[in-house]
Amino acid sequence: MGVTVLQPYPLPEGKSGAHIIDHLGKRLLSLGATHAGQFLVDCETFISTPQHGTPTRAVHVLHDSEFPASTFSIIDNGTGKQVALVADAIFDLLMLKMTSTFTSKKQTKIESRGARFEYGDFVIKLGSVTMMEHFKGILIEIEYRPCITLSYCWEMIREMLQGFLGINVAKEYPTYFTTQTIMNAMGQQQLHAKQNDLYEPMDTVKQYLEHFTNYRKHVQLHGGLGSSGLSVNGPVLMPSTVVGVGMGRS
Amino acid sequence: MSNSVNISVETTCENQIREIAYDGTELYQPPPTLSESLAKCAARIDFSKTSLDDLKKEEKSAAAAEDKEDKDNQFQESLWPWDAVRNKLKDAYTEICVLSDVISIAKDKRYLVLDPLLEDGDDTKAIVQVYSRKKALSQAAQVLLGGAERLRTAHSEQRSRNVSDFHIELLRLRQNWRLKKVSNGAIIGDLSYRTAGSKFGMSGTFEVTKAEDTLDEEGGAGTSATASAASSASSSNNGMQLKASSALRVIVPAELQGVAYIKVITQKDQEDLCTAQVNLMGHGPNITAQVGVWQKTLEFAQNVLFCKELFAQLAREAIQLQAPIPHVVIGNQIRATLLPNIQLIISLCHSTSFDSSQPAPINDHDHVLEHSLHQLLREVHYKNSHHPFPHPASAPLGPSKKRMLAGPTAADREALLDMTKTQTILEQIIAQAQHIFMRKRTQYVLDTLARDVKDPQIVSHWNAMNSPTMSCVKINIVTHGYDAIGRTSLVIHVKERSLKCICRDGRVMRLSYEPQELRDLILCQINSHQISCLVSLARCMAWTVLSNSNHLGIGKVEPLGNASSCLLASPNSDRMIAVQIRCDPQIDVKVYIARSPRQDFFPSPLVPEKFWENLGGNFKEVRFDKIEGKSFLNKMEFLMASLTSNTA
Repeated sequence: MGVTVLQPYPLPEGKSGAHIIDHLGKRLLSLGATHAGQFLVDCETFISTPQHGTPTRAVHVLHDSEFPASTFSIIDNGTGKQVALVADAIFDLLMLKMTSTFTSKKQTKIESRGARFEYGDFVIKLGSVTMMEHFKGILIEIEYRPCITLSYCWEMIREMLQGFLGINVAKEYPTYFTTQTIMNAMGQQQLHAKQNDLYEPMDTVKQYLEHFTNYRKHVQLHGGLGSSGLSVNGPVLMPSTVVGVGMGRS
Repeated sequence: MSNSVNISVETTCENQIREIAYDGTELYQPPPTLSESLAKCAARIDFSKTSLDDLKKEEKSAAAAEDKEDKDNQFQESLWPWDAVRNKLKDAYTEICVLSDVISIAKDKRYLVLDPLLEDGDDTKAIVQVYSRKKALSQAAQVLLGGAERLRTAHSEQRSRNVSDFHIELLRLRQNWRLKKVSNGAIIGDLSYRTAGSKFGMSGTFEVTKAEDTLDEEGGAGTSATASAASSASSSNNGMQLKASSALRVIVPAELQGVAYIKVITQKDQEDLCTAQVNLMGHGPNITAQVGVWQKTLEFAQNVLFCKELFAQLAREAIQLQAPIPHVVIGNQIRATLLPNIQLIISLCHSTSFDSSQPAPINDHDHVLEHSLHQLLREVHYKNSHHPFPHPASAPLGPSKKRMLAGPTAADREALLDMTKTQTILEQIIAQAQHIFMRKRTQYVLDTLARDVKDPQIVSHWNAMNSPTMSCVKINIVTHGYDAIGRTSLVIHVKERSLKCICRDGRVMRLSYEPQELRDLILCQINSHQISCLVSLARCMAWTVLSNSNHLGIGKVEPLGNASSCLLASPNSDRMIAVQIRCDPQIDVKVYIARSPRQDFFPSPLVPEKFWENLGGNFKEVRFDKIEGKSFLNKMEFLMASLTSNTA
C-alpha cells in the first residue's frame, strides 16, 4: 500500500481513447513493465428523497479492485461536508435495503477500467473512464508502493509520469492535496498540509470521486453548451457504442 | 377572729352512676350503709394467713379470686355476706382440733411416736470414693483401648496387605484419564487426543478391570500388556521402587502397545549430521511410582498414538505435495530433500517388546526440531477445535479474524493473497530444517574465515532472537589498532535456502546456498576494506590520494573479480606509492614505490631538457612481507612515514 496519484490524460484531437491507451501500454511494456491483470474502479450514487428544508444528500458507493474485500462510501450532505466510510463488501446489500430513503441514480454510474502494469516499485493503471457506456476520458493512476507520505515521493512520481506520458505535469501537488484550513483542537484556524499526512486507501478513493465528479460536471457543462464539448466527439472510433453528442447528456 | 378562716372539709360525695336515662337524668347508686361496709371488710379477712408475705400473696391471689368471685356473685347474690367469714372460721377451728388430737395421741406413744430425724453424715469414707472413681476410669479406658486396638489392626492389615483397594486406584486413574462406565458394567477409558482437536481415525480406548485375586508378583510375563507384566519387566529395568502389582489392570489395544518415537535425521551423503527424537515422555518416574504401573502403560500408549498420528499426517502430506525432488515414503520412513545432497529422514520407530536397553541417546539431539514437530501437530489440533468468533454473530463462521477485518481496513490484494497461503506440517518442518542447515553452514564459513584471515579481523554478531526460518548476523571487518580509521560492516539475513547481504552503502546481494559464494563475498569485502582504510589512513598521514579503484580490470581474469588499487603521493610529491590488492583466492598485496625526480634521467637528443626528470621514475616493487608491521595498514603506515621527507 503506497502513495497513489491520479492524472487525467488530455486526449489529443483526432485520436480515439482506445488507441491512446494501446499506445501508452506499449510504451510501458517497452520500458520493462509487466502486465499484471485488469483493474476496475466504479462509483454509484444514491440521492436521498428530497424533503422540505433539508438539502438533498448524496451517498457515493465506490469499489476498487485493488481492495477487493472492501466497499467505500462517502456521504455528501449538500453543504460541502463529506463523511467517508470503509466497510466490508456486504455493505452493498445494506444499500439495497435503503431504497426507501435513498434512490439510486443509475444514470450517473461511472467507472474506470483498464490494464494494470507493474514496473519495479510502481503500479501503473491506464483507465478509460466510461459513464453508461459513454467514454469520458483517460485517467492514469500511479502508485509508488514503498512510500506512505506524498511529500517524500512526489518529485519521483512526477518524474516518472512525465517520463512515460510525455506531457507536462505541474509542479504543484494535485488538487486533492492542496493545503486546507481546518479547525484544530484549540478551536483555531490552522493550515493543514495534506501532503505530509500518512496516505490511506481512502485517499485514493476520494481522488477517484473527485475526478469522477469532474467528469460528470463536464458532461453537464458541455451538454449545456451543446455540441462537441467533449474532446472525443466527432467522426472517430469509439470504444463503446455511443453515437453522438446527445447521448453525452445525463 | 379576723385571722382565722373557716374551712369546711367534705367528701366528694360522688356516687357511682347506675343508670343514665334517655332523657339525661342519672340514677346514682346509693352509698353503702354502715352494715354493708362492715360486711365487706369482714369478708376480706383471711384467717389462714398469719405473716406479711402471706398477706401480699393473698392480695395478688385475691385480685385473681375477685374476678372469679365477681363471676360467682352473679349467680350467688342471695348469699349472706357473712357466710365467707363463717366458713373461714370453721376451717380454722377444724385445723386446731386436728392438731390437738395429733399431739395428744403422740404423747400417749401407743399409736404414734415422734422420733427425731437423723442428720446426714456428710463425709463418707475417702477410700470408697477412690475405689468408685478408679472403677469408672478403668471402664472408660477399656472402651478407648478396645477402639484403638480395632483401628490398629485395620491399619496394619491394610499396610501389610500391600495392595491398594481397587476403588482408590480407580479414583487415581480417574484423576488423570477420562473414564466412563458402559452398560455391561465394564469401564472404558479414552486416551486419544479427540477432545484436544485431533481428527485421527485410530481409537484410543482402553479397558479397566480388576486384577486377579491371586496376585502374582513374580509372575511370568504374559503376552498381553497387563500391569503386572509391565511392572515385573520395568521394575527390573529401571530399578524403580514400583509396587509389584496393583488392584486394577488396564488393557490397551494391540496397535498401541509398546514404545514409539519419531526420529528425525538430516543426512548428507549417508553420513549422519544431526538427529532429533520426538517423544512425549516428559514425565519423570516419580509420578508413575505414586499412581501405579498403569500410568506408565497408558502414557506409552498415548505416545504411540501421538507418534502414529504425526507420522500419518506427514506421510499424507508427503504424497500430496509437489516438490521439485519428490518426497519418498517407504514403510515407516519419509525422505525429503532439503538441499542437493542433503536429505531429511523422518522415521517412526515402534518397538513392541519391552527390551531393557533403550536406544542410547544420540549425541546430536536436536531439541528444536523435536519440539517443532510436536508444536506443529498441536497447532493443527488447536485450529480444529478453536474457531474465531465472528463479529457480528451473523457473519459466517470460518474466516480468521484477520480476514474478517480485511474489509473495513481496506486490505489490498497482496495482503489478501497472503492470508490464503497455508503451509502443511511437512513444508514447515522442511523449511525449519533447511534453515538450521543454512545457519550452521554460514556459521562454519564465517568461523573458518575469521580463523584463517588474521589481518583485518572479522567479527560476527548473531542476533539472539530469530524466527524458525530466518536469522540475522552482522559482520564487522576492522583492522586491529585502526578501528577509528575505518570499518566495513554488512548484514546477512540467513533464510531457508538463500542468503541476503546488505552492505553499508545500500547494495543488496542475494546468494544461494553454496558456501563458496559467501566466502567469496567476504573476501571481496576484505579487499575493499583494505583499500578504503588505506585511503583514510593516507589522509591522516597527509598523503594525497591520487586515485583509487575497486575494479581495475588488469591482469588475468579471476573468478572473484578484479584487483582494487590505490595511488598515493607524499606531501612533498616526491614519492608515490601504488598499491594493488587481489583476492586470488588469497589476499595478495603488491606495493610499488616511485620517486620523483627520477635518478636515471639523462638528456638525450630526443628529450634534451632537464626538467623532464620531474615526470617521475619507474615504480619499483617493495618486498611487502619483509616490512615491519603487524597488519597491512600498520605496514603502510610505516612505509608512508619512512617515505615522508622533512624538506619542504
